[in-house]
This record gives sequence, C-alpha cells and structure tokens, in this order.
Amino acid sequence: MKTLLSSFLLALLVAFIVALSLSLGAVSLSFEQILSGFDASSEFYFTIHEYRLPRSILAILVGGMMALSGALVQGVIRNPLASPDVLGVSQGAGLAAVILMTIFPSVSIFWLPWAALSGGIIAALFLWFLCGSHSGAIKLAITGVAMAALYSSAVDFLMLTKPLEVNNALLWLTGSLWGRGWNQITMLLPWLVLIPFAFSLAKRLNLIGLGDDVATSLGTSISMTRLWALTIAVGLTASCVSICGPIGFLGLIAPHLARRLVGGRHQVLLPCTMLVGMVILLLADLVARIINPPIELSAGIMTAIIGAPYFLWLLFKVR
Amino acid sequence: MLNRFKKQSYLVQCTALLAVLCLFIWLSLFSWSIVPVSASQAITALFQTDKSIIAHSIVLDLRLPRALIACTVGACLAVAGAIMQGLTRNPLASPSVLGVNAGAALGMATVTILAPSFGLFGSSVAAMLGGAVTWALVMVLGSAWRGGEHGRLVLAGVAISALCAAFTKAILILHEDQASAVLTWLAGTVANARWGHWHQLWPMALIGLVGAQLITPTLNLLNLGEDNARSLGIKLGWARILCSILVLILVAAALSVAGSIAFIGLLVPHMARSLVGHDHRKLLPISAMLGALLLLAADIISRPIIFPLETPAGAILALIGAPFFIYMVSRRNR
Repeated sequence: MKTLLSSFLLALLVAFIVALSLSLGAVSLSFEQILSGFDASSEFYFTIHEYRLPRSILAILVGGMMALSGALVQGVIRNPLASPDVLGVSQGAGLAAVILMTIFPSVSIFWLPWAALSGGIIAALFLWFLCGSHSGAIKLAITGVAMAALYSSAVDFLMLTKPLEVNNALLWLTGSLWGRGWNQITMLLPWLVLIPFAFSLAKRLNLIGLGDDVATSLGTSISMTRLWALTIAVGLTASCVSICGPIGFLGLIAPHLARRLVGGRHQVLLPCTMLVGMVILLLADLVARIINPPIELSAGIMTAIIGAPYFLWLLFKVR
Repeated sequence: MLNRFKKQSYLVQCTALLAVLCLFIWLSLFSWSIVPVSASQAITALFQTDKSIIAHSIVLDLRLPRALIACTVGACLAVAGAIMQGLTRNPLASPSVLGVNAGAALGMATVTILAPSFGLFGSSVAAMLGGAVTWALVMVLGSAWRGGEHGRLVLAGVAISALCAAFTKAILILHEDQASAVLTWLAGTVANARWGHWHQLWPMALIGLVGAQLITPTLNLLNLGEDNARSLGIKLGWARILCSILVLILVAAALSVAGSIAFIGLLVPHMARSLVGHDHRKLLPISAMLGALLLLAADIISRPIIFPLETPAGAILALIGAPFFIYMVSRRNR
C-alpha cells in the first residue's frame, strides 16, 4: 500500500513539474496560454510545442533511462557506489561520441548512439579487465573514477585541439537539454525497448541481492543475469549520453532515493527509480533554465551540485 | 640507461637534471614561433639584446617569461604533490586528485567574477582560501588522519572536485559566455604568460619552495608513522598545519597564473622517488626539477598540435597523467 502510494505521489510530482517547466522560463506563461500553445495558430505554439514540450519529454525519457541503468548496475554488482557515471561508462560513451563528432564530422548524427554504445561497452569491458569480477566497493569505484578521468581528459584534449567543431560538441557535452527537440526524441524512442527487458530481470535481481550462493542454489544463473543487466544498463546509458551528454550522478542517486521510498524489491524499485530519475532531471533542468534567464546552466551542473554531496555521504556510510 | 642514472650520486643527478632543464628552456625559447626565431637568436637575445630585431623582443617579452613561468609552476605543483603524499602517506594524494585544485579554481573564479576590484592579489588569496576549504573537507570526510582507508580519501577528493567544478562552471557560464576561453583556463596553460604574471608568481613560489625544503626533516619523521613521529618529538598538529599551508601557497601560486593543471603533483613525486628513494631532503628538490621539466616539455609539445593556435599544456599533461593514475590505482589494489 505504501509503495503504491509513493509511486502515485511520484507520478503526480512528475506531472506537476512538467506543468511548471512548461510555464516557467524566459517568458512565463499562464495555464490557459499553455493549453492554447498546443494549437498551431496560437502565438505560443512555438514556445510550447517546439521548445518546452520536447524538452520536458526528453527530460522524462533521459531521467528515467539513466536512473534505471543506475539501479540495474547497483542491483547486479551489489555496490552502493556503482553507477554508470562513477564507473566511467558514461564518459567512455561520451568520448566515443566526441571522437565521431570531431574526427569524422561528416558522418550522420544518427550514428551517434551506436558510437556511444560501443564506447560504453569498451569502457565497461576495460573496467572489468582491470578489476575482475570480485572487488570491493571502494576499489571498483576508485578504478572507475580513474577511468572516467582518462576519458574526460581525452575529451578535453579533442575539444581543445579541434576548435572549429568545438561548438557542436560543447553544446552536446555539458549534459544540457538545451536546443534538443523532436528529432532527438525520435532518436531515443527505439531504445525504450530495453526498459521491459530490464523489468523482466527484476526477480532475478532480487535473488542476486541475497548473495551469490543463495542465488545459485535457487536456480539463478548469476553470470547470465549479470551479463544481461549490465548490457542493458550500458545500452540505456549510451543512448542517453548520445542525446545530451554525460549527466553526472543521476544514475547514482536516483536508485538510492527510490530504495528509501519503496524498499529493495526490484519489481517496485525499478519503476520507482525511473520516476525519481524523471523528477530529478526535470527539476535540475527547470532550475538550470530559470536561475538567470536567458542564460542557461546545464542540467548536468545541477545534478552534480546535488549528487556530489550525496556521494560523499554514501562514502561515509559504506563499510 | 635509466638504471645507470639511478645509481649516480645525488649531486650528479641534480646537475644532469639542471643541464637538461637549461636545454629545454633554450628549446622553448625558439621552437614553434609564428615569426621565425632561430636557435642562435634565442641566445643572443638574452645577452646582446637588440630591441630593433623582432625575434629578440619575442624571445624577451613572450618566450622567456613563458619558459620561466612553466618551470616555476611545474616545480610548485610537483613539490605540493610530494608534500601531500608525504603528509597523508597516500601514494595517490596530489593537489588535483584531492580536490585542492578544484577548490582553488572555484575560489579564484568567484573572486575574479564577483569582485574584480580585488585584482590579482585578491584572486590568489581567494584561491588559497578555496583550496584550504576543500583540503580540510576532504581530510575530515576521508578521515585520513585517523588511519582511514586510502581509497576513501581519494573518492572524497574526487567527489568534492566534481562539486567545485560544477559550481565553477555555473559561475563562469552565468557571467560570461565565452565557452572556449573558460575551457582553456580550466585545462591550464602557460601560453598567455607575461612578465606581469611572473612578478606575481615568484614571491609566493619562493616562499613555498624554500619553506618546503625547510620542513623536509619533519616529513621524513612523519613517514615513520604517527606514533614514531610523536615519540621523536614532532607536534603532529602543527606539522600538519604547516605542511598544509605550504601546499596551499604553492598550489595557489601555480593556479593563479596558469589555471588548473592536473596530474603533475601525482606523477612527479613517484618519478622522483624511483630516482632518489624516500628521503624528502633529496626528494623535494628532484621533484621540483622534474616538475619544471615536465611542464616545460608539455608546453613545447603542445605548440605544434594545432599550430599556429595554442593547445593548453594542461590538456597534454592530463592525457599523460590519467593512464598513470589508473596504473597507480590498479597496482595498489593488487
């Protein structure tokens, strides 16, 4: 009952923030003006239909997918400090996408998600190669952070040495939702297929949470579950990264918050994590937009400002 | 060859490093200039200055301060890293990894943008304060001084770095929209160095470097472990505060002229340790020279990459330093 109530309240919160982000911005609109914005003849049509609506939808999609991927990673390696961005997977995906954009600028932008996906997979494999399958929480996190430092320095290097392409890449890389529209949403849509697959893993994730031995004796193939969950997580992250760049700490904090709300059963936890991720990203984007209009901060900056202290707190707690 | 160099006496090593350093300074005076400067002109400009020759004024007004600043900044950061590694007894400690760089950058960005009237001196002080706050935070959170785990300290540093970097970016974006200038500054470069920067840099650098050399005996004792150090008559609290102040002076001096340059503080002390061992009295001077050499070399290498535009030397260093960071992390874990 409690879980149902929290999910319902979260969904309500998402709807409320969407309404807020449709109305607030450089120009504030009233409720009637928003409604009239859906009509093509209205003067607000452009603001609502071409600008704020796709942006909110994108925030919902990206927030949900990134949070889900964080929950999968945390569930499958049972490490509270793990998430795609702490482990360097987001940055690896970002590096691959920046390489594609700066070195092969003529390639169609529709290849971006695939480049990001291969970058993310390579980053994950590399991390696995360095750490092995059994490693402590701190060790895995610190190696991941070191890898992330490597990828982001390579990205910085590319950006600084290719000043002509930099605007394109910079816009994309800051983890901002600025200037994204319906095109990006259609690019993201096919990847939503991964979400049902993720949900279908929920039961097995619960068993893995009991420990490797128990899970094996209850008939779960641990390595297969791990492989599937991590692949799905990398796919979700890479598709988001190819749209709006690495948004830090989102995949880390959303699962933790959701776990506090609804507990650790993955059947409930996974959908709830998605809702929490949506709320966080929508809020981050909204605040970043209205803090000093018309200048925009990126949502990634906002999530870092919330997420880094939370990470410190987790670090303090982890034994 | 490296092994043979390691076996030489400390004096020989110092002399050899100094000679290489001079060679690199000379190289950096004439290499990759838009207006051609010949190798011999670089020498004559120093000793028989003729202001009517363009090459001479390029060497004297642009290249010489740049080379000097690169050397000093490199030395400051390397020594700061060596002190931090000695103090925390953590091989991964360094200004950039533990968040001192990011905190100092945040302090500096805040003051330069919100209160520009304080000028250069004000921004150096702000950089020191910002660095001090993050350093204290990392130390408390990572609980390094109560014998906490090393990895925790580093992760705390990384998280605080991320936080400070986010705030810095937010401030910079809100107040100016030149993204690439901001990027260059954050990456760290000595390309814009002039004599004005040098006059601002050298007093602080001198205080920091000399002070660092003076506290080397204390660092050596700290390396024996807390209990031993205390029983040998070291006041731990004061020693730590003194070391921290020196680190902050060095980092703030380097950062205020060259932007945030990462990984020198991590990389160089390890190189120096493999040359002269763990005695800080020898380690610090060698670190200073190696650091100077490394930043100077990075500055020279960075010039031809998109000639005639400049690539920040910090970007090159990050590319070299990050794999080394990974190597250190995975080696320690075994």
